[in-house]
Amino acid sequence: MVVVVVHLPLLLMKLPLKSYDTNFHIFFASHYVSHWFDPWNPKWYAGFSQTTYPPLPQQWVALVSRILGLDMAYMAVQLAAIMLLVVGVYRFSLLWVSPRAASIAALASVFLGSESFLVYSAGQLGTTSAAPIYLNALPFLFEWVRHGKWQSFLKASVLFTAAAAAHHATLLFGSIFFAVPVLALALLDRQDGERISTPAFVGRTVTIAVVVGVAIAVVLLPFWIALIHYPVTQTPIPHPSRANYILSPQWGLNYFIVPYGALILALPFIFLRGSMAVRLRPLLLGFWVAFLVGLGGTTPVGHLLLGRAFDVLTMERFSYWATLLALPFVGLLAAELVDRYRMWAVVGLTTVAALSCALAVGWATYRPTDAEDFKVDSVATWLNRDGHDQYRYLTLGFGNKISRLAMMTDASSVDGEWNSGRMLPELTRYGAGALTSSKYFGEPGLDALRAMLKHADHYGLKWVFVRDHYYDALLSFAGWRQVDSLEDKTITVWGKDGVPPAMPVNAPQIPPHWQGLMWGILPFGSSILAILVILIPEKRRHERRADQHFATDENLKQGRLVS
Amino acid sequence: MSKGRLFAALLAAATVALVVIGTVWPVPSAVAYAGGASLLRSSSTPEEAVANLGDEIRMQAWGKAYASLANKAQFTQPEFVHDLTGYYSSLRTYATVENFEVRPLHASADEAEIELKLHWSTVVGASVSTRDLHVIRNGDRWEPEWPIAKEPIVPPQVIPVNYLRWDVIYRGPGDDWGAQDVEAPHVRIVDMHPVERADGVVILGELLNEDVVPAYVSVSATLLSKSQSPIATEGSFDKISHLLLPKQVTPFLIKFPNVALSEVGSIRMTPLSALIAASADPVIEIENEQLHPAPGASLTGQLINQSGQIVNVAHVLGTFYDKTGQVVWVADEYIDRALLPQNPVPFEIHIPEDLARNVSSQRTVIATYSSGGAQ
Repeated sequence: MVVVVVHLPLLLMKLPLKSYDTNFHIFFASHYVSHWFDPWNPKWYAGFSQTTYPPLPQQWVALVSRILGLDMAYMAVQLAAIMLLVVGVYRFSLLWVSPRAASIAALASVFLGSESFLVYSAGQLGTTSAAPIYLNALPFLFEWVRHGKWQSFLKASVLFTAAAAAHHATLLFGSIFFAVPVLALALLDRQDGERISTPAFVGRTVTIAVVVGVAIAVVLLPFWIALIHYPVTQTPIPHPSRANYILSPQWGLNYFIVPYGALILALPFIFLRGSMAVRLRPLLLGFWVAFLVGLGGTTPVGHLLLGRAFDVLTMERFSYWATLLALPFVGLLAAELVDRYRMWAVVGLTTVAALSCALAVGWATYRPTDAEDFKVDSVATWLNRDGHDQYRYLTLGFGNKISRLAMMTDASSVDGEWNSGRMLPELTRYGAGALTSSKYFGEPGLDALRAMLKHADHYGLKWVFVRDHYYDALLSFAGWRQVDSLEDKTITVWGKDGVPPAMPVNAPQIPPHWQGLMWGILPFGSSILAILVILIPEKRRHERRADQHFATDENLKQGRLVS
Repeated sequence: MSKGRLFAALLAAATVALVVIGTVWPVPSAVAYAGGASLLRSSSTPEEAVANLGDEIRMQAWGKAYASLANKAQFTQPEFVHDLTGYYSSLRTYATVENFEVRPLHASADEAEIELKLHWSTVVGASVSTRDLHVIRNGDRWEPEWPIAKEPIVPPQVIPVNYLRWDVIYRGPGDDWGAQDVEAPHVRIVDMHPVERADGVVILGELLNEDVVPAYVSVSATLLSKSQSPIATEGSFDKISHLLLPKQVTPFLIKFPNVALSEVGSIRMTPLSALIAASADPVIEIENEQLHPAPGASLTGQLINQSGQIVNVAHVLGTFYDKTGQVVWVADEYIDRALLPQNPVPFEIHIPEDLARNVSSQRTVIATYSSGGAQ
């Protein structure tokens, strides 16, 4: 109910549309609407394969869009992910803390700054969809490893696979930050109640790892094939989440203060309680590593642990995972504060939670990804008429509106927003992001733009839409001439004579039909299967509560959990 | 202390230590976003003081850069900023400093001369500007003096414009540029030959507009192997003047990186021309042109804008000929300052050392861009 009260109005206002990546996900979904079994999308990078990004949330958006339209379908899927997070946090927290503390942790997840930051500023639908599925899978993992329940094995396996179908990185790093602490917990608890031998523990762990590994390999097979054939070897693109947040406080505000919010106040408690309760130490260590990596370049940890991946991944997702790992502690802290200070604690906690959420939601307005909102309808109309779409186009100064434009036009662009999916050497060589924002990447960005313009004839690139006159001089000297203007002359259309119509390129990367079928059936099918297996009624283990220790204040005082 | 508290203390200490390490010895990505090394660098030597200034200019921290100057009383901060970025819209206005070099020229106990070479990234390519800074000691710190160059003020005047102008009447609003149902202007490649360079094959040549109307021109070339299969196709891009008035000639240069001349059997040249509205204005006069022999071979001179409008960007294309009149090399330079009317602006085009000895004459062509209309 709280989720609905807090997030539904914001989603109905389509606030995520202002974020970095929301339009990117909707663009992918728009392709699935009309080409469910054909992941080859010719609208970006002169053609690229959508098998380079796990499809689950986007396919759900595509499906729901049949009823709600693409924008509202996105909002509906995002809302479902937020609701699923509440359940996931509760179930995950229950492994570590009391049901009361777990309930508070679940409630806190609604106000989590990092969740709002990813939903409303970053627009990371993949991450925010995969994490809740993953969190929901972890208790089943525990049940399987600890008690050997085959039903839990089935549920954990299916949920892990569905999580991977939503976002591959979450599964990869989630295994380290989330699953390893849960396995450690099962190991710590092995002597309590129903005992488990170490060989059984190892056997069960290996079994599920192998089965889930195989399932993910099959479900995302086209993704792995694309990755193996065309590994991401392009020059890394700078991202401010890798800055040192002390030396660059503006990025510290963006990637630490806003996502963590009032959680920063709980850090001493997390360290202290997590250290003192032996049972909580795996969770603390998982949090600690995710926390350090999420600090980007503030510490050398991310650089050392991730190696080259540090320059490829963005760090805000690690902070997100760290805050999820912190929630059981938050529930514990809140429960103890309420016990001690009653109404004062309730008022105080509610206030800081609301402020954290409000800051993260409002951040999208105070630090918008695009300085100006503008319509691209006229550009799409221009491209769609008089055979202009026989040629490829490029935009300059359009920011993340290029996804919106790509949805509305039939024409193909040489640019795009999915950097890992691009194969054109002019784009991968220089270490810059989208061409439309070339100037913000300094010399690498402008080198990439010039390289692309030089090969305009090869790509059938005839049209350049300019909304930033910074680029006019280059176009003029490179042989383009202004041919039209749109939107009250705020957008100019430049054309180059002698450019041949666009021909298909990147042909070797086009996935064969069988991969398209797999891509259309298996990832989405894994989510359907997950829903079905979750509906299998759980036989309640009454003894579970009895043999489970919770790291409450009382327990600590009695010394039961103190090492 | 219990084991738990000790563990907490260890984790907290390790966290603090890692943050300190990450701040004192930041990873490369963190250094880039923090504006270089200047945050952790004092100004205890003349080189450090100038390097700090370079970092601040790179980060466009104009206030900090201005505050660090010893002679800031001689000019205002806006004048300092305009000196770096230009008083009028130009390539430099939106350029960013990609990196810089600091080179000591002379030093004594209380003052030093330091060369600051700024490598700018502009929309048309890299641009370098060099300033020699006088640095003076102030207590235990060194402070650079900025050699401000104030833009000359052009006196109010009336300049008559009576240059030729050509307009093109199109079929109607639905007619796209380039889709012209008229014969294209007659253009001809008057010289062309390939040259092998270290990074590949370069095709040099000249294109003449033989017609009596202005032409938009470009040239592309396809290298064919000895079996006549295409090796690569490239265009002249910006190494050409795309606007040719009647009887005008432009040089062109087309690069084919990573291709050896021995692989090439023949070359297919494709000149392209189209009718275009044009004006002979603005006229840019070239004065004091001089060919400097190797070492440091270059062509220098001054551009004078003879028109009444400001030219925001000028592109100087130099064609170099040997004694037989054959094109030896084509080189260019973008002027990163706006050309004000009647205000001379120097240019310098570098010539490769190995080719310089063959150069006996040259011809210079100027292409211009004025915001609001390309020429």
